[in-house]
Amino acid sequence: MKFAANMLSCIMLALPAAALAQDSPSAQGDVSVTIYNNNLALVQDVRTLPIARGVNRIEFPDVSAQIRPETVSFAADGTAIVEQNFDFDLLSPSKLMEKAVGQVVTIVRTNPATGAETREQAKVLAVNGGTVLQIGNRIEVLRDDGLPVRVVFDKVPPNLRPRPTLSVTVESSQAGSRPASLRYLTPGLGWSADYVALFDAKAGRIDVQGWITLTNSTGTTYANARTLLVAGEVGGSTQNYGSPYGRPRSPGPLRKAGTETADRERLGDFYLYPLAARTTIADRQTKQVSFLDVQGVPAKAGYEYRNDWLNSSETPQSFSSVVKFSTSGNGGLGDALPAGTVRFYMKDASGAPQFIGENAVGHTPMGSELVLATGEAFDVKVQPVVEKREKLGEYRWRTTMRYDISNAKPEAVNVDLTQAGLDWVNSDTRIVSESQPSKRRNSDSTVWAVAVPANGRTTVNAVFDTRY
Amino acid sequence: MRLILASLLFALPAAAQAQAIVTSAGPETSSVTVYRDPDRGEGGISASFPTGFALITETRRINLPAGESIVRFEGVADGMIAVSAVITGLPGGVAQKNRDARLLSPAALLDGSLGNRVHLRRTSRATGKITDQDAIIRSGPDGAVVLQTSEGVEALRCSGIPESLSYDSVPAGLAARPTLSVTTVSPSATSALVTLTYLSTGFDWSANYVAKVAKNGRTLDLFAWLTVTNGNASGFADAQLMAVAGRVNKESDYDSLIENAPSSSLNLQCWPMATTSTDSPPPPPPPMRAPMMMADMSEIVVTAQRRNESLAAAPVMKMAKQEELGDLKLYRVPMLVDVNAHGQKQVALLQKTAVPFHLYYAAKLWPLDPSDESQPMTKTLRMQNRANAGLGLPLPSGGVALFEQAEAESLLLANSDMRDHAIGEDAEIDAGRSAQVRIRHVGVAGKDGTIQSFRIEVTNALDKPAPVEVQLSRPDGYSLVGPSRKLGEKDGAWLWAQTVPANGKAEFTYRLKEEDR
Repeated sequence: MKFAANMLSCIMLALPAAALAQDSPSAQGDVSVTIYNNNLALVQDVRTLPIARGVNRIEFPDVSAQIRPETVSFAADGTAIVEQNFDFDLLSPSKLMEKAVGQVVTIVRTNPATGAETREQAKVLAVNGGTVLQIGNRIEVLRDDGLPVRVVFDKVPPNLRPRPTLSVTVESSQAGSRPASLRYLTPGLGWSADYVALFDAKAGRIDVQGWITLTNSTGTTYANARTLLVAGEVGGSTQNYGSPYGRPRSPGPLRKAGTETADRERLGDFYLYPLAARTTIADRQTKQVSFLDVQGVPAKAGYEYRNDWLNSSETPQSFSSVVKFSTSGNGGLGDALPAGTVRFYMKDASGAPQFIGENAVGHTPMGSELVLATGEAFDVKVQPVVEKREKLGEYRWRTTMRYDISNAKPEAVNVDLTQAGLDWVNSDTRIVSESQPSKRRNSDSTVWAVAVPANGRTTVNAVFDTRY
Repeated sequence: MRLILASLLFALPAAAQAQAIVTSAGPETSSVTVYRDPDRGEGGISASFPTGFALITETRRINLPAGESIVRFEGVADGMIAVSAVITGLPGGVAQKNRDARLLSPAALLDGSLGNRVHLRRTSRATGKITDQDAIIRSGPDGAVVLQTSEGVEALRCSGIPESLSYDSVPAGLAARPTLSVTTVSPSATSALVTLTYLSTGFDWSANYVAKVAKNGRTLDLFAWLTVTNGNASGFADAQLMAVAGRVNKESDYDSLIENAPSSSLNLQCWPMATTSTDSPPPPPPPMRAPMMMADMSEIVVTAQRRNESLAAAPVMKMAKQEELGDLKLYRVPMLVDVNAHGQKQVALLQKTAVPFHLYYAAKLWPLDPSDESQPMTKTLRMQNRANAGLGLPLPSGGVALFEQAEAESLLLANSDMRDHAIGEDAEIDAGRSAQVRIRHVGVAGKDGTIQSFRIEVTNALDKPAPVEVQLSRPDGYSLVGPSRKLGEKDGAWLWAQTVPANGKAEFTYRLKEEDR
């Protein structure tokens, strides 16, 4: 039996792991969280509260530590709100002493030689830099001699709290426990998407997994919460559609906005991503849940370079390596994509996936065409050179450009070479001649689709007339 | 007896609820692919603060029970970017991935125990007597600790008596280190080989070239190290090490993706403590000791020593193997190596002997703005990156140390940087300024005092001929007329190339004509 006792103590030692699982019960009730992309969430918390008839003051612990108290709304049957308070006068030793001014506290002196304790009553006269006490008819400064003195207060002063506390005062027409719903907005909860894209350049295919990434830095854990993610930013920002003097922008990854509707839950213009099961969103947690898994979507590798001005480069510049694919239901991913980061992987010679770069996508409708740059090509480069710049008149110039393109890869590549800056300071630019026809994408830029032979070079020549 | 034990053991899983927690302590095999910081320049790397990143792939053997379980991955790099983690090989797939950054710390212990019973222990300095009493924490951890005991309300450690708190248990959800865990539902109990792939900050790599000019002065031996730095506190034993050359696009700020734990330090403050003799706040705590590294660094002693042997290093046994990875270049170290925590490792990257090069002296001038000052020209070594010119392999960017053999010694000629060079490009090494080959750009005044023409003079104080290449940028609206020699073209600029005789001079004159149309 002694042996059994030993075994028992062993098991007792093992128990702290079980003790870990025990949590001090949260005061939260049935929690639902709706999270927007721009670091904002709507929390609804339905708690069953005993409310007496008449005026009640109800405190709500375990709300978000970053709660925006002005957005709180409270609802419970048979109650009317008298007032809402958000108190952030926090308890600390200084506050404790300051609130004790004029009151009597107990001081306990310890004799450094014998350890004997003597107790005295003292009145706190003032707390300014140090603490001045009246003991009997003497006036003393607390711990002026540096010897140990404990100060014992009778109680915690009212309205001093360990944490900011939300309270609602209600007038209730009836007594009894009932569900009370609390709704508020809080920053500190946000989400975005993370995509893992495995690109097979030879087969021209891409496998995409989408993950919803949810982050909680509110300082509060939301236990067993129903969670809904809204793909969109709400309020607050105005879109900049370009300004009168703004330079035409280079096209982003979204080359053609889609016109298809994805088969997902929607709220107005927003797509909704509900989590399948209730989940606990712990404080300081990054949580990821899968929402998309598509195999074998057609995708193409490409090369793009944009020369922003009619200028020379001192060294050859790498083309961007891009991956092109569609989000259409017909030959594409077949879904709308919430904004996030796409990380591309490619298999190396041993078959292990290696990271080849990442790019960001905005909220992308289904049916869109995406061109995402993953990095710069080591082997495919271009050197733009101004061969000649002649003055034709007071404001007219003629620029002769040459673009030397090199390809050190053992296979031929097709590159898109863009000359931009044709319509900003230079206006009404005209292409006088070019070695191969280009496509004028807009007044500011023109694009040559150039075939570059394997381990070879090619040159594009063009002459521009500009007014300046 | 056995019955008691059995019932206890059976009682435990109920406490842990339906989810079993499976901990994977470390990887069986790992591979580390290091990427350069794409925003860094061309040169070498900082060993103490690497700014690039790495893709880490680990295989782990995990014993899964049937049903839902939480798999915790321990021993991952501390720079792990949790959102990039990909886990394959779990038979039930991954339902959810979590990264928890709430760590067990003095402040978290206090915060998690708010309103709970703790134990306050006081020790008498005079007698050593310990008094223990129960207390309830009434304040949060931000300011300081206010306790309620049976005697009343007190503040922790304001009395001058040694006081400390002890706790009954660790609050839930606190871990020793940030931890990645995944939820999976396994159809049956099984042992699974799981692959965990993630990006991590705190790595970087660079090529470090050592170029040795042969005695004949016409060829050089080029050798490069692949230098990898791991600034993480985690090491990877027996790892497959790879490095990727080229520039990958990086959109997110990786440092901000690493969820930081809330401040873990506990800052105890008391009420105002000024006394009649000090009207100032109490003295600050003694400053923290200087970090160990600083102390270590100051002990490095450099001893000057004349080396007699040349820099001919020991022959290289193993050389990194280059593969294509899309439009990037992958270098694979051909054996398993230990990538140590806070360590730098060097492996041979490439080697080419007797590479012919062309030595010349370079300068770039703005034709309208003569400086009239004699300036040193830049000594430059040009190699053609082609197989028939002795090279013909991708040259990833990095630092270059250029040595020349003089008598029995190797002399360092220059220490510079080189960009990425594809096959077929001209690779140039900046070999430093030459005080012997100098250039002067003069504006020559005409009768009316205005500049009529320009003259470039190159002087050579060496006892051998010096080839020079002078680039003149093209100014808009001017044409160059009457050059004293025919000009070439390079990178969109006019090029004057000529060989200046030993101990001699060369001159070039030109005029600029403004286009007045």
